[in-house]
Amino acid sequence: MSGFMIRKVAVLGAGVMGAQIAAHCANADVPVILFDLPAKEGPPDGIVTKSLAALARLDPAPFAAKDRSLHVEAANYGSDLARLGECDLVIEAIAERMDWKLELYAKVAPHLKPGAVFASNTSGLSINALAAGMPAERRPGFCGIHFFNPPRYMPLVELIPAADTASAVLDGLEAWLTTRVGKNIIRARDTPSFVANRVGVFSILAVLHHTARLGLAFDEVDLLTGPRIGRPKSATFRTADVVGLDTVAHVIDTMQATLADDPWSRHFRTPDWLRALIDRGALGQKAGAGIYRKDGKRILVLDLHRQDYVDSGGEVFPDVADILDLRDPGEKFAELAAHPHPQAQFLWSVFRDVFHYCAVHLGDIADNARDIDLAMRWGFGWTTGPFETWQAAGWRDIARLIQEDIEHGRAMARVPLPAWVSELDGVHAPSGSWSAAEGMLKPRAALPVYRRQLYPDRVLGEAPADRGETLWENGGVRLWRRPDQDAGIGLLSITSKMHTIGDDVMDGMLEAIARAEVDLDGLVIWHEPPFAVGANLQQVVQACHAHQFDLLERMVARFQHTAMTIRHAQIPIVAAVQGMALGGGCEFLMHAAHRVLALESYIGLVEAGVGLIPAGGGSKEFALQAHAMAQRAAGGDVFPWIQNAFQTVAMATVARSAHEAVQLGFARAGDDIVFNAAELPYVAIRRARALAEAGWHPPLPQRAVKVAGRDGIATCEMLLLNMAEGGLISAHDYRVGRAAATALCGGEVDSGTLVSEQWILDVERAQFVDLLKTQRTQQRIVHMLETGKPLRN
Amino acid sequence: MSRQIQDAYIVAAARTPVGRRNGAFRHVRPDDMLAHALRAVLAKVPGLDPQDIGDVIAGCAMPEAEQGMNVARIGLLLAGLPEGVPGVTINRFCASGLQAVADAAARIRLGEADVMIAAGTESMSAMPQIMGNKVSINPEIFAHAENRSIAFGMGLTAEKVAAQWKVSREEQDAFALESHRRASAAIADGRFAAEIVPYAVRSHVPGEGGVVRIVERLVQHDEGPRADASAESLARLKPVFAARGSVTAGNSSQMSDGAAAVMLMSEAGLKRTGARPIARFVAYSVAGVPPEVMGIGPLEAIPRALARAGIAQAEVDWIELNEAFAAQALAVVRQLGLDPVRVNPQGGAIALGHPLGATGAIRTATLMAAMQRDASLRYGMISMCVGTGMGAAGIFERA
Repeated sequence: MSGFMIRKVAVLGAGVMGAQIAAHCANADVPVILFDLPAKEGPPDGIVTKSLAALARLDPAPFAAKDRSLHVEAANYGSDLARLGECDLVIEAIAERMDWKLELYAKVAPHLKPGAVFASNTSGLSINALAAGMPAERRPGFCGIHFFNPPRYMPLVELIPAADTASAVLDGLEAWLTTRVGKNIIRARDTPSFVANRVGVFSILAVLHHTARLGLAFDEVDLLTGPRIGRPKSATFRTADVVGLDTVAHVIDTMQATLADDPWSRHFRTPDWLRALIDRGALGQKAGAGIYRKDGKRILVLDLHRQDYVDSGGEVFPDVADILDLRDPGEKFAELAAHPHPQAQFLWSVFRDVFHYCAVHLGDIADNARDIDLAMRWGFGWTTGPFETWQAAGWRDIARLIQEDIEHGRAMARVPLPAWVSELDGVHAPSGSWSAAEGMLKPRAALPVYRRQLYPDRVLGEAPADRGETLWENGGVRLWRRPDQDAGIGLLSITSKMHTIGDDVMDGMLEAIARAEVDLDGLVIWHEPPFAVGANLQQVVQACHAHQFDLLERMVARFQHTAMTIRHAQIPIVAAVQGMALGGGCEFLMHAAHRVLALESYIGLVEAGVGLIPAGGGSKEFALQAHAMAQRAAGGDVFPWIQNAFQTVAMATVARSAHEAVQLGFARAGDDIVFNAAELPYVAIRRARALAEAGWHPPLPQRAVKVAGRDGIATCEMLLLNMAEGGLISAHDYRVGRAAATALCGGEVDSGTLVSEQWILDVERAQFVDLLKTQRTQQRIVHMLETGKPLRN
Repeated sequence: MSRQIQDAYIVAAARTPVGRRNGAFRHVRPDDMLAHALRAVLAKVPGLDPQDIGDVIAGCAMPEAEQGMNVARIGLLLAGLPEGVPGVTINRFCASGLQAVADAAARIRLGEADVMIAAGTESMSAMPQIMGNKVSINPEIFAHAENRSIAFGMGLTAEKVAAQWKVSREEQDAFALESHRRASAAIADGRFAAEIVPYAVRSHVPGEGGVVRIVERLVQHDEGPRADASAESLARLKPVFAARGSVTAGNSSQMSDGAAAVMLMSEAGLKRTGARPIARFVAYSVAGVPPEVMGIGPLEAIPRALARAGIAQAEVDWIELNEAFAAQALAVVRQLGLDPVRVNPQGGAIALGHPLGATGAIRTATLMAAMQRDASLRYGMISMCVGTGMGAAGIFERA
């Protein structure tokens, strides 16, 4: 191990960013102290405790589990500065005022631990200017550390060295942030707004400019700049409302103040209409009104001509929609540039100006083009970065179109494209990405921490990933290995669409496990997210419509058999999970010998949503858990453990993090939680190896499981009856809930009866097939397939 | 007038303040609260030789766990009563405390005892779930349609009453607000002071270096009433029991902790101890109603009790009608034509709290204090609805 170690973190400033950064440290089991000013009234840590309490109301949740908030210690500058001496890393996240920050640095510097790292989460101030506020001997440990909001969910952290920052500090911090905190790091330069905000805010300014120039409506622009062009659903103006219009204006003002000699600087100003909104308190979501306003269920949008809110209902012009659906990016951009419709012109103009801006500034703001592309993906949620979009559309063709527009005065600035643009065929190549500053292609960073990432995010044009060595495959799964990692550990990847589990997948898994038992020492179930969204409902519906209930019964039995094969294989099977793992996917991972979970794993038994119950062993697993827990309690009553499981299953509760998955019983306390999802296969392969080396063997099937039986079912039914009588659930919800209760309680046997594991499987299967025979369950399944949403019937 | 061998008189009543669930009495045990109330009532009758107590009957709606093991007997021993004094725990849910008073009176009226103590205790904080420590429902309830309402939650039954007796959300909220107003005013005027015996809560908390620190706090007032309750704050609450319902946390009784004890004597007992009677126990009745509208229990119980007492409803000057829910209380008030001024003059369970099995004894203490304070009161009544569909009513006459 390197000598770089962070045992405890202090975060200075309990504002929305500081508090969330502290929260995420707590998520990662990093002890953290959150500081702010002493409160003028009440308890001295009042500012911090209030801020932490406010986090509980934020959506999406900053804490990965409710109890995590207990692990952020509150402190204040008045009485607790000496506690800074406990901390190896101090992250400063106070308001963006140079004078305030420098004043704070002077105050805290004497209390810092020798060798501690001190990093500022500024988004706009100069890191070198801040470093000057630190005593000289502290400057090697000083740098910028720019998180994106919300820090738990946005992968990007920009690390910005000052002139004196020690490279060992940067490398250590990068490794720690990557593995422990789960962030993706871009090394940025000390230029205003760094990388992602520089490009991202320019992109917003370009949208503002062309929206006004072409007279488009705000909701129309959001339709154009959302998922249709690979950007988040909230697109441009809805995002601005969420972020807060005052914050947007502040960011623009910062660019105006710090980038006076930027060729685009005349565009760095807040439009008058936006200033007017802010002046009258329409700051966006937090104020109840901004560019959008909610009126009951209606969503209204600001109409600048009428100076009033109108019903939102913009549309994408059909021609433009057709162009955006084109698969060939070259064709798409050529047609956008050529089409006279304002929407097409708008999109082309925005892309053109962002491309132009990135090309001109690449040399000043980033080490290489890959960093800009990845920064925009990780910091702004773009599916592809600006350079890769450009390159995919044809580097030279797009360059020519941009050049023409610059020459004709159509671009937002007249500055020419840099010379290197015309000398290249693209910025990304198998050997690296273009560095304008150094005039060469640069490979990825070689820090040891990146050896843990077998499949990092890649930009278009980069060398393809190592697909490993395929050992066997069918239409549903691939069994393969990475001999460079461990030739004795296999990887089992589901290859169906959305990783739904149908016949091919089950056949494939059984075959792959059988082969792995002979040829390998362990197996890892891993593929890109989602882990699995459940059973193939299409196959289920077809069988229902043909009244092939015997076939369905066999299908469910096969599902159970697959789960039980995972549990009882002769080699350890490790499930490596990221993203959604629902229904059958959840049941498979519950049966694995061990789980390696990305923090952002969303696991749940959601069968109730389609009028079914977990019958791939999921209900049985909860019955087994209840039995195991009850054995440790005086009296040995299993029902209290069933009651919570019943709520989880009947309400189709999905865990919102790996931590919650453990609390809800989908995963176990000893499972691995991996903060950087890119490390998942690396960790899982090594976990499988460790289990194999430790002599892992399959458990015996359970023969005497104490179940809650008839009284347990009745007690669950009481809950259903009250909800049904109150009109809170439908008659069919009642029926589905009762079926779930029956399975979880081990069937209508006397309470406390000892049954076998197989009996519970038989009960859940019978309940499942009974539900499938009902019209309402069939309606729910069809509705889910057609709309992707649950039907309440 | 009902026939009996001899009369039973209430000579003293005392109670703890009522704490909110997980409030002041969060860690106070129900048997300790009972002992506190027993000591308090004994202190009010200095002439009594405790050996003469015939029995201690304590009501408790969830007599299990902390309040299990015959909490009456444990409570009286903790209170320092002689080992010769027996104790029995009884359960008629929310009427348990009143049932205890009635049962104690009945023993005297039968001539079986000259001194009895009736009590009630309930810690809803101690109950991990509102329905007790282990909830287990008989599957037969679901096998027959006519039995299903046994499994109805109390809130749901209040919705049914609201629908059937047409009690609107606005009326319920207004009733709740008035309960808080009356209770807050009564506290401010010190009108509960005579019945409440302050409780010194000793909390055992982790101190420095593994040494437990004792924190003492004197609880003197009921914790439930909100002087700042407003129509707006009540209107903001969402119905909890039904999708288009009207019953909210604000217009339902509060879950609470508390205990009370009431001493009753025969005339012989009065003579022997020199105690002064406050009121004569006149009549008691219980009646069953459909479980799905359990809240209307008093509609059946009150007329029966009045008939037994041989008095007209208009003769009752003070009525403690338990506010399990504003919906059922209003339905009862309207249906029977009770005078709203005489019903819960110092607020009810919506403000004061409802520690289930203790409430009947607690409100007896309130009525006795009122009768001692105000000589114009002749008849007083305590009534409540009871889960699974019952009503209870007891009538007292100033002695």
